[in-house]
Amino acid sequence: MAYRKKNRNVGIVGIGETKFSSHREDVNQPEMIHEAVRQALDDAGLTMNDVDCVVHGNMELFEMVHQPDMWHTLGSGAFGRDSFRLTTGGTTGGTLAGAADNLVASGMYDVVMAIGFEKLQEGHTTGGITNMADPLWARKLQSGALTAQAAVKLITEFGEERARRAAMTYRIIMDKHACKNPNSHRAFGLEWDQMDDLMTTSPPLIGELRLIHMCSQSDGACVVIFASEEKAKQITDKPVWVRDHITVHREETLNLCNNYYPTETTHKFAAEQLYARNNITNPLEYFDVFEMYDPSAWWGLDWIRDFFLLEGDEHIKLVENHEIMMDGKMPINPSGGVIAANPIGATALVRVAEAAKQVRGNAGPHQIPRPVNHALASSFGGTMWTVLMMLEKELNW
Amino acid sequence: MATFDTSDCYVVEGKLALPYTYFAGRVGSTFITTLRDQRKIMGVKCNACGKVFVPPRQTCERCMEDIRNNWVALSDTGEVVNFTVVRYDDKHLPRKAPFVLAMIKLDGADTPMAHIVEGIDPENMTEGLKVKAVFADQTTNTILDIDHFEPVK
Amino acid sequence: MSQDYGVTPNDIFNSMKDRFRAEGAAGISSVFGYDITDAGRWKLTVKDGAMSIDKTDDLSGCDVKLITDSATYVGINIGKIDGMQALSAGKLKVEGDINTFALTSRFFVKFVAPGQDAAPEQELLVLKKVISVKQRFATGPVMGKFLKGLKVQKILAIKCPECGRLQSPPREACAICRVKNTDWVEIGPNGEMRMMEYCYYASPDPLTGETRETPYGAIGILLDGCRDEEVFWHLLRPDQLDQVKMGSVLNGKVTHGSRLRPVWADNRTGGISDIKYFEIDA
Repeated sequence: MAYRKKNRNVGIVGIGETKFSSHREDVNQPEMIHEAVRQALDDAGLTMNDVDCVVHGNMELFEMVHQPDMWHTLGSGAFGRDSFRLTTGGTTGGTLAGAADNLVASGMYDVVMAIGFEKLQEGHTTGGITNMADPLWARKLQSGALTAQAAVKLITEFGEERARRAAMTYRIIMDKHACKNPNSHRAFGLEWDQMDDLMTTSPPLIGELRLIHMCSQSDGACVVIFASEEKAKQITDKPVWVRDHITVHREETLNLCNNYYPTETTHKFAAEQLYARNNITNPLEYFDVFEMYDPSAWWGLDWIRDFFLLEGDEHIKLVENHEIMMDGKMPINPSGGVIAANPIGATALVRVAEAAKQVRGNAGPHQIPRPVNHALASSFGGTMWTVLMMLEKELNW
Repeated sequence: MATFDTSDCYVVEGKLALPYTYFAGRVGSTFITTLRDQRKIMGVKCNACGKVFVPPRQTCERCMEDIRNNWVALSDTGEVVNFTVVRYDDKHLPRKAPFVLAMIKLDGADTPMAHIVEGIDPENMTEGLKVKAVFADQTTNTILDIDHFEPVK
Repeated sequence: MSQDYGVTPNDIFNSMKDRFRAEGAAGISSVFGYDITDAGRWKLTVKDGAMSIDKTDDLSGCDVKLITDSATYVGINIGKIDGMQALSAGKLKVEGDINTFALTSRFFVKFVAPGQDAAPEQELLVLKKVISVKQRFATGPVMGKFLKGLKVQKILAIKCPECGRLQSPPREACAICRVKNTDWVEIGPNGEMRMMEYCYYASPDPLTGETRETPYGAIGILLDGCRDEEVFWHLLRPDQLDQVKMGSVLNGKVTHGSRLRPVWADNRTGGISDIKYFEIDA
C-alpha cells in the first residue's frame, strides 16, 4: 500500500465541544453547532474570516432532515465559503478529521474547520441504522447497531466468568473517567461493588450485551480547526501535529455472524499498516493515551487487542489490572469514551479532539497525570470500518 | 444499456418509514408562538451589518454576531420579490395545484421569506405585488400559522 | 433534601387517584408493583379505564415490578432524575416486561411537588413527523437469481474463481480478490448453527414501521457445503431460542452447533421471507 506522503505538515489549532446530553430542545441544529464553532474559534483566537474551508458531517438519516450542511450555514460559518459534506456512519468524525488533514496537507487550503454533530433525540437511531442495511436481505434481520457478537467471541475464548467480569470492569472504568469529564452525557458514579449486581440485573438487549454496556444516544457537536504548519505556528504556541491517518473499509455487510477470527479485523489491519509506515514496533509503549471509539464495553474490551496488536489475553489483563485507567500504563478514553456520550456524527471527531487536548495538556479534570507526547484516536462505523489518527506534540518524526 | 442476460432481474417494492422530531429551539419557538398568539411577525436585527432577518436566526451568518435577543416587530405587509406557480400535486405540498409560492419581503425586513399567495389568478402574478398576511384560524405551530398572503386591496 | 421538596413516595402514590387519566389507560389491563426498598410497597391495578392503588407488602400477582429507592423514585417523578439513566445505572430495576411498565407514564398527569416552581418556562416547539417513502429496489442479475432460487426452495451461493469462497446472499464480485464471481453452487438447505443474536430489544421494521415481537433470534448458519466465515444470515424459530447451541471455531478447534433446517413459506415471492425461519433438525 502506498505511503501517504504529505506535501506539508498539519496541526490542530482550535477545539470546540458542546456539552453532550440526551435533549437539546432549546436549540435547533445550526444553533447547537454554533456553540462548538464559537468555542473552537475562540480557542484558536480566530474569526471565520481566517477559515478557508468548512468540512461538515453527520448521519442525516438519524434526524431524517436532509442536506443539513445547507441550512446549517446559519450557525456553521460556512456562508460564502468552500464547504464539503461527509457522511460515513460512525466513522464520520474520523473521516472529517482525515479530510481536513488532507485538504490542508495538499496545499489547497491553509485553515480548515471540521464540524461533526448529531441530534439523535430528533430521530430514531436504530431505525435509521437498520434502514442502511441491504434492503433485500439484511434490513429484515439487522437489529440496529446492537450486537452481542463481541460478547459471544470473548466468552468463547476466555470463558463466561472472566469475559463478563472484564467487560464490566471496562464499563466501570469508563464511567469513572466520564465522571471527571464535564462534557459527559452519562456519568453514573458506578462503584466497584455494583459489579456483580450490574452483570446480572442490567436489562439485556442482545445476548450478554446489556443496557449498561451500551453507548448512549446523545445530542452535541464537536469542531476541530486544522492549519498548515506555517499558519499553525502563527496561530498558537501549542499546535498538535497530525502525524498520519489511515482509513480502512471492507465488505463484511452480510457476514456479521462470525464468532471466530477468519481474518484480521479492519481495526487490526489499519493499525498494522499505520504503525509499519511510521516505524512503530511497540504501539503499547509508543502511545501515551488512546481515545477509542468504543460503542459498547464488549467491543471496547475486544478491540484493545486489535489496536495494540496484542496476543492472547494481554488485552484482558490490561483491563483486569486497571492499566487502562487515567494513571495506568495505557490510559484509554480519559474522556469516558463513546459509552459516556455518542452524538454519532461528532463522536469520532470528539476522539480526535480529546486526544489533542491530552497532548496540549489542557483537557481539564480528565487530563491524564503524565505528559502526553503521542496520542492515538480511532473511529468505527458501519460494518467494521476503521479510521485511525496519530497526534504528536513535537514535529520530530 | 445492459448487454447481459436480464432474465433474472426484477424489482422489489420497498418502503422507508421513520419517525422523527424537530426541535425549533428558543429563537424559532419565539417566532412561531408570537405569530400564533399575538399575530405578530418578528424578525431579528444584526447590529453589525444592520440587516433584519425573517425568519429569525440566532446568528448572523455573515457577521457571525449573536443576534438572538435583537427582536424587531415587522409589518404584516410586504412585497413579492420572486414567485413560482406550482403546477403539480403531491402529498407534501400545502395546496392543490395550481398555486403560487412567493418570496415575500416584509416591510422592515431585509430578507424575503417563502409563503403562499392566494386571492390572485396565478397567471396575473407579478413581482412587486404588495401583499398582506392572513393568519390561520387553526394553529399547526409552524409557519403555516400564517395561512397565506393575499394582495393588498 | 431540599432538592426533592420534601416529597416522599407516599405523596406520589397518594396523588395517583387525582392524577389518573382514564383515556391514557384505555384498553390496558395490568397489575403493576412498586417496591420502594426504603419506603414500602404499592400495587397499582389498572383495568377497564379505572385504577386502584394499594399499599401492601404482598406484590404477588403483579405483571411487572419496579424496584428502586425513595430518592430515585421521587427524583424521577419531580423530573430531577432521568428514568432511563437510573435504569442504565442499576439504580432502578424492572422485573417483567419493561415495555409494559413504560405504559404507566400514560396513566397519570405529571406530579407537581408543593413549592416546585410551576412557572412555565418558554414554550419550546417540538414537531413530530414521519418520513415515509416508497422505494423500488432493482435486484440486478446476481441477487435476482438468488432470490428466484428461494422460490423453488433452493439456496444458491456464488463462488469466487480465485479464492473459492462462497457468498450467499451473493455478490457480483469478490471484494477481497477484486474479481467477478462467475460460478453458482447450491448450498444447504440444512446446516449448523454458528452464532445467534438473542434479541430482547427490537427495532422497528423499516418496511412496516412496526416493532417485531421479542425475544427473537437472528442467526448465522453454516449451511452444508460452506466453510469458515461463509455463514448464512436468517432467523430462528421463535420457540426454539433456548434450545439451540451455538458453534464456534477457535484456534482451529471446532465446536459444533445445533443442526438446523429451513422452514419454507407456502407462498414464496422471491424474497427473504420465502424462508419463514430455521428450526432444529431433529
